[in-house]
Order: sequence, then structure tokens, then C-alpha cells
Amino acid sequence: MLLTSFSFKSNVKKKLVDPVLQKNMKRFGGRFVIARAEVMKEVDNLEDIRVAAAAIRDGILANLDSYLITFEERAQARGTTVHWAETAQDVNRILIEIAKANGVRKIVKSKSMVSEESGLNDAVAAADMQVIETDLGEYILQLADEPPSHIIAPAIHKNVEEVAELFSKHHHTPRQTNIPALCREAREQLRPHFISADMGISGGNFLIAETGSVVIVTNEGNGRMVTTLPKIHVAITGIEKVLPTLNDLSTILRLLPRSATGQSITNYVSMLTGPKGADDVDGPEQSHIILVDSGRSRLLGTELQRALRCIRCGACMNHCPVYQNIGGHAYGWVYPGPIGAVLTPSYVGLKNALDLPQASTLCGACEVVCPVKIPLPELMRVLREQSFEQRLRPWSERFSIGVWRTMANHPRVYARFAQVAARLLHLMGGKKGLLHWLPGLDGWTDGRDMPAPTGKTFRELYAKRKS
Amino acid sequence: MRVGLFVTCLVDLMRPRIGFATLKLLQNSGCEVVVPEGQTCCGQPGFNSGDRESGRLLAQRFLKDFESFDYVVIPSGSCTGMIRHHYAQLFPADPALQKRINALSARTYELTQFLHTVLHIQNLHSSFKGNITYHDSCSGLRELGIKLQPRQLIGQVAGAQLREMEKPETCCGFGGAFSIKLGDIASRMADNKCQDVQASGADAIVGGDLGCLLNIEGRLRRMGDESTQVLHVAEVLVGPEALADLGED
Amino acid sequence: MSARDNILARVRRGLNLPGDVPGAERSEVLRAINDNARGPRPTYGWTDHAERFSLRSKMLSTTVDRVATLNDAPAAVVRYLNELKLPLNAVAWPALSAMPWSATGLGLEFRGAKDSDLVGITGAFCAIAETGSLMLLSGPDTPAAVSLLPETHIAILDVSRIVPGMEEAWTLLKSQQSAVPRAVNFISGPSRTADIEQTIIIGAHGPYRVHVILVG
Repeated sequence: MLLTSFSFKSNVKKKLVDPVLQKNMKRFGGRFVIARAEVMKEVDNLEDIRVAAAAIRDGILANLDSYLITFEERAQARGTTVHWAETAQDVNRILIEIAKANGVRKIVKSKSMVSEESGLNDAVAAADMQVIETDLGEYILQLADEPPSHIIAPAIHKNVEEVAELFSKHHHTPRQTNIPALCREAREQLRPHFISADMGISGGNFLIAETGSVVIVTNEGNGRMVTTLPKIHVAITGIEKVLPTLNDLSTILRLLPRSATGQSITNYVSMLTGPKGADDVDGPEQSHIILVDSGRSRLLGTELQRALRCIRCGACMNHCPVYQNIGGHAYGWVYPGPIGAVLTPSYVGLKNALDLPQASTLCGACEVVCPVKIPLPELMRVLREQSFEQRLRPWSERFSIGVWRTMANHPRVYARFAQVAARLLHLMGGKKGLLHWLPGLDGWTDGRDMPAPTGKTFRELYAKRKS
Repeated sequence: MRVGLFVTCLVDLMRPRIGFATLKLLQNSGCEVVVPEGQTCCGQPGFNSGDRESGRLLAQRFLKDFESFDYVVIPSGSCTGMIRHHYAQLFPADPALQKRINALSARTYELTQFLHTVLHIQNLHSSFKGNITYHDSCSGLRELGIKLQPRQLIGQVAGAQLREMEKPETCCGFGGAFSIKLGDIASRMADNKCQDVQASGADAIVGGDLGCLLNIEGRLRRMGDESTQVLHVAEVLVGPEALADLGED
Repeated sequence: MSARDNILARVRRGLNLPGDVPGAERSEVLRAINDNARGPRPTYGWTDHAERFSLRSKMLSTTVDRVATLNDAPAAVVRYLNELKLPLNAVAWPALSAMPWSATGLGLEFRGAKDSDLVGITGAFCAIAETGSLMLLSGPDTPAAVSLLPETHIAILDVSRIVPGMEEAWTLLKSQQSAVPRAVNFISGPSRTADIEQTIIIGAHGPYRVHVILVG
């Protein structure tokens, strides 16, 4: 996916004044929050399960290589070909090689965020093959030629009018704005592709070391189609997605759908192990898994390792007041919201996404809802520390922090400075006590007045009173 | 009981009367209150900007200034959260220092926490005329679990009616330096908050953190709302007579 | 070195583990997998699994019928299809071919599913009371697409096969099968999407209707 995270600030400016986006985010953005809160009432020991889920994920990460080797062995024993991709580009290369070797012309694809990292669709199209997104949201975006703006609701930024327009234009059908009818239209458009495709690509929510299986968690049924009907199935997923056992999967599944869409369970949980057997009447003849590193291993052993617990539910972005106001595209890469503010700089380089770790008030709403207890504010702070230490932040910012630090550590100087500032700003505030503009603080005063100090500092008044 | 009052840098500079209100509330409850002179700031601005060193310097300063007290009270959830949850982390290689910090952190309270949970205040002898809506500041709410305490205390203020806004727990967009670095988003978040405040029909928006209050007040006034009062919870709890008596000048 | 070796080496280096390949940790991992510990779950406040399964199924927009014996199931299938004015032709799992279908007059074909099939009839390996989910295993006599391609999916399930949670389903699977099949599908209601305006629409790419006939 084209990276624009380095221009986060200008992305934000555009998104804040995009009337359609703003309206759509206000209308639809809160629904996941309400649904999650409602469904969590079913779970009387939510905290116990979160703790257990975090421990499962930490246990895997601590011995990730052993788990990957075990997974590979068992997947191979069931006839799955396991590929390893060091970089995003390798993902595209491996996939195209598999496709070319089998004369593939048409590919149907269910949701895979990892494939967004590598821009797989463009690479496949450039290799003269047709690739069709089949998740309804992803399909809409493929028609619109846009990237997803949310990891589980990719087209959350679009309204029905926009979808109607796209369908009518691309399907050459009468424009209709009835949502069930639009869903039916997509089903009818996509069904022939499922039947005729030579290859199906899916993501993988989890890899099970115990059985060598890949698990996908879906609602629409397209995930089942692409893993059942075409003669080749390729699952693409990150190396961190292993779970030890089926029991661990059961624990995590009590949290994933609830945290994501507010469902107790998704319509489909499909566990796929190897190609079809000799007597099977359906299922793919070939089963492939591409295990993707692409920056993940770099986080191991660092404070940021905890970000690899992530099970991609999207609750952090749903609950993030920054995300709610700017939408996912502003973040400029595959993963928006708080988890994106941690993963994007980690995967694409801090200097390419310098503002993302700053794009949070550290309000903590994300951490409270994270099913695997990723301390997202703390991790954003870690990245801020790295930015500071590597002198990536603007000179003026580093300078002012330096001055402030020295003063704050010298109380007499600090008191004197505060006294002068309080007086000066008080005078500038006039009768109403409001500053409409302050040099260097236009970031504040562009949209808000700055209430002026009342004139004397507390310590000044306190000293006077004591004497 | 000897209580050290940490005034906070924002109260010192911007709204000393919040400091005096806090002082008075504590004294009214029979505390012996001391305001150590060496205090400046808890270190959060630097810490959240990625400068750990400033966090460490100011954590040590805080320890030196406040270690001798039975309790430390702070009219801010955000500074209290910094001390309680982040100070010890700043010294991973110094367990002895961590131990001292943890011992002090455990005696460090946000104002409404202290009045409610430690002093068990039942009757404030204060009054307020009008409807109040309470904004739950993020650190207080999520790091310290402050939710019922201020509401219970406001409930003791004669004449004060609590009218909850729609999303009292949603961040107002302050976030320290965030409010300047990413001012566009901060202003939008403040705007959302102000709309919720206005829709609640409250005469005053009250909160426990001056940073949030300045952000909300700044947006309200820019929107042209000059009537909605913006008050720190200490000002409401101490009451109008005491406030008048604090005499900033 | 291969990409595989590079990645595994980077993982070991990152984790600060000694050497190039796992030693003792590998056996620890295998032991953890074999131990197969179960995690915490919410309090199960029900005693009758069939009742709980039915309740949860309905919440997922699955309809539920109940008959006394397996021989009553074919008539229940016809009753359901007639009520909804659905076609009386269906594709069914070969595993169900021995049931007494002939008296019903249904046009049944016992095979894998095709795009043109409108009704699919399956059994289920078991079902989960906690969530109201069916667990289907793929196999020569239980093809996966029968529960996927048709617009209507009817599943026949003996109530004795309803287990409390997913963990018990895995235990049952391991006790009755030598290995996990190619596909295990947990089905929880008809397919759905909320990708347009977060509005939940029943019927996406898979079935529009799921009907469960409980037996016993």
C-alpha cells in the first residue's frame, strides 16, 4: 500500500474538512462501540479471559521460532506447502510464482491485511492476472480504487449513496440505494468469480501449531468460498499469528468477535488443514501458506514486542477519539488508529511515520478495550522516546523541551519566569481574559482561545500570604 | 495528619485560586497542609514528549520535596497518574529508588480521591446555584479509577444539580503538547466535547484537571459561548463564600 | 541461507535465545502443546444444552425445530421448505443417504454442492451450546460446500451431540477422528455483512437461511 504516513498532518487537515467523511464517521463510527459494550455483558469474567489471552500471546512470542518450526512441520505433514517471506515484496514474488507455475488466470481473494502491506493486488495485476476482492467492503474499495480505512470494516468511510454510484457504474445496472439489494447485487456479481477462479487467497487470523492449520474468522462466507472452491488456496499471514493449541483458539475466540464487531461469535470460524484428501469431493488440490516477517521480527526483544500480541480486532481504533474524528486513511498506511500508530513506524521506519506516535492524547481508551491488553499509550510513548533520542523531532521542539527541563529543575528561576509569564499573558488577555493568538502556539489558537492567567502565580500569592 | 500540597504547574501559572481552594478544603478537614517551595512540575510534558531525562529529574525532585509527608494531595488526576504509574518505571535499574517512589506514590492522591476515600468527607458546607456537568479526565478515570468520587462530593454541595453529558468519558482533546502539535484534531475533539456540554443543559462544566478545562473553555469561548462556566472541582467544593475569601489580589 | 533460516535466525536473535536453532525450548513448546491447558470461560448459567443451543441459535437468526427421532427429520425438512415456499429439491450430504427420505417426495441428490443448488441438507459433527454454533467436518461423505453454496442450509443434529463449549467440541473431535479434517467449519447463523453503513444484512455470499432440526 502506498505510504503517506509521513504527511499525516496534511492528511488530517483534509480529512477534518471532508464533509462526507465527517458525516459518515459520525453516523457509523460509534456503532461498534455500542455493540461491543452490549455483548461484553455476557462475559462475567472478561478480565480473567483478557489476562489469559495476553499470556497465550506472550508465551508464543517468547518462543516464536519453536512455534513456527512446529507449525511448519505439522502443516507440511498434512500436505501444505509453507513459504517464508522476509519482506513485503517477497510476498508478491512468492504468490506470483505459485500462480504462474499453475497457469492461474483468475484469483478470488478474501480479506488479508498483510497483502495490503505488500500491495499484492497491483503486483498480481501487473503480472497479467485478474484478482477480485470478495469481502463486500474490500470489493467496494477495489471498484473505488481506494485502500481500506479500517481493518475489519474497510469501507466504513463510505455511505450507501457512494456504493450505489460505484455499483451502477461498474456493473452497468440501474442505480439502487437499498442496502439489502446492493448486497444481493454484489453476491450475484461475485458468485461466478468464485466458481471460475483458479486460485483463492485468504488471510489467516491464526495458525495452530498443534495441528498445522490456518484459521479464518469471517461473516460473509467469502472466506469459505475462496478456501473451498478454487483448486489452489494460498493463505498469507504474519509470523506472529501462531497459537499453540485448539484450546487456546477457543479462549481467544471468546474475545476476538466480541471486541471486533460486537458479536458473540462470527458466522464462520473455519479451520483449514492441508489440501483435499483423495476421496474428498470439494476443497483445494493445493494448500499454501506464506509466513510473512516484513518487520515483525525486529520488534522481538524490544519494549514494542507487546504490539505483536495484536489479534486485529480493531477495538482500539473504534474507541479512539482521534480515529473517530479523522478516519483511517489519514494514518497513511495499512493499520490505522492506535495499533497503527505503533505498527506503522515499526514496520516502515520511524522517520517515515514520525507524527503517528504523537497522534494520541494518551487518553487510554484503547488500552482499556484491547482484548490482549497491549499497553498502547505506553508503546506510543516508547516511540516518542525513540524519536526524541534519535533527534528526529523538529529542532524547535527539542529546544523548548530542553529549556523547559532546565527551568523546571531550577525552582527559583522557574518561579521567576512563571511570575513574568503570568503577568504578561494576563495583560495580553485583556478584559475578557482570553488570548486569541499567541506566537508559537497557533496550533492551539487556530481553533481555540487560550484562557489567560489571572495575573499572579500561586507561589507568589502563597508567599505573600504566609509573610 | 501532615499533607503536602502539590499545586501543579498549570494551577500555579494560570489559576492560583484552584490551589487555594484545595488548600482550604484540606484545612477545613483538619489537615496540616504544607506547600513545599521547591516544587515545579511533575515532569509529564517532557515525559510524554519522549524526554525520559526530564521525567527522571522531576521525579527525584518530587521525591525529595514530598517524601516526609503522611500524604500528598494534587488537584489533578493527570499529575497524580504520572506519579503513581510512571515515576517508578523511570528507574528500572534502581530498585531501591523504585521502592521509595512506590511508597510515596501509594500516599499520593488526587484531590477528590483524597477527600472521598481517605477523609470520608460527608458534609462539605458548600453551595452552588445551577446545573453541573462533569467531565471525566482521562488519566483520573483510567489510571486512577476516579468516577464516583467527584460526583459523590458534588452531591454534597447544596443547590448543585448533576446533569451528565452524553459522553463524559470521551477525551476532550487536551493531551498536553498534543493540543498544540496536533491542534487541528485537538480543536475538533474539544468542539465535540463542548457540544456535549451544551446539550446537557448545564450551567457549568466541572472537571478535575485544569489542562482539560482550559481546552474546553478555550473552545467554548471561541464558539461564542460566554455563559457556560468552566470550573475546577475544587472551586465548586469549597463554595462561593470561601472562594471570594481566597482573594487572589 | 534461505528466507526461512534468515527469519528464524532473526527471531532467535531478537529474543536473545542462544545458538542458531532451538534446543530445550523446542521440547518446552511441544510439552505446552501436549498439555493443552484450557483457559477461563464465562460462567455457564444453563443446565440444558439443547435449550441453550436453541436460544443462542435464534439470537444468530438460525431457526430451530425439534423432532423425536431421526426418522421424523425428513418430514420436518419438508414442513420447513413448504412453510417458506422453498423448492423441494435439495443437495444433501452423502452421509445422510440412509435416512428414510423416499416417503417425503423431496428431490434429493447426495453429492457435493453446485452453484445452482438452492437448498443444502447436512448433518453436523456436533454443536456448541455456549454460542449456538454448528461444527461441521469436511469429508468424502460430508462435503463442505453443501452448507455454503445454497441459499438455504438445513442441518440435522442429534441433541446428544450438543456440547457446552468449543473446548469440548475439540475433545470430541480428537476422540472420534484420527486427525483434524481438511476443513472444520463452525457455523453460527446465516451469512451476513455490515460493510455498507454498518447495517447488518442477513445473506451475504453464503446461505440466507440456516435451519436446524434437533433430534431427540
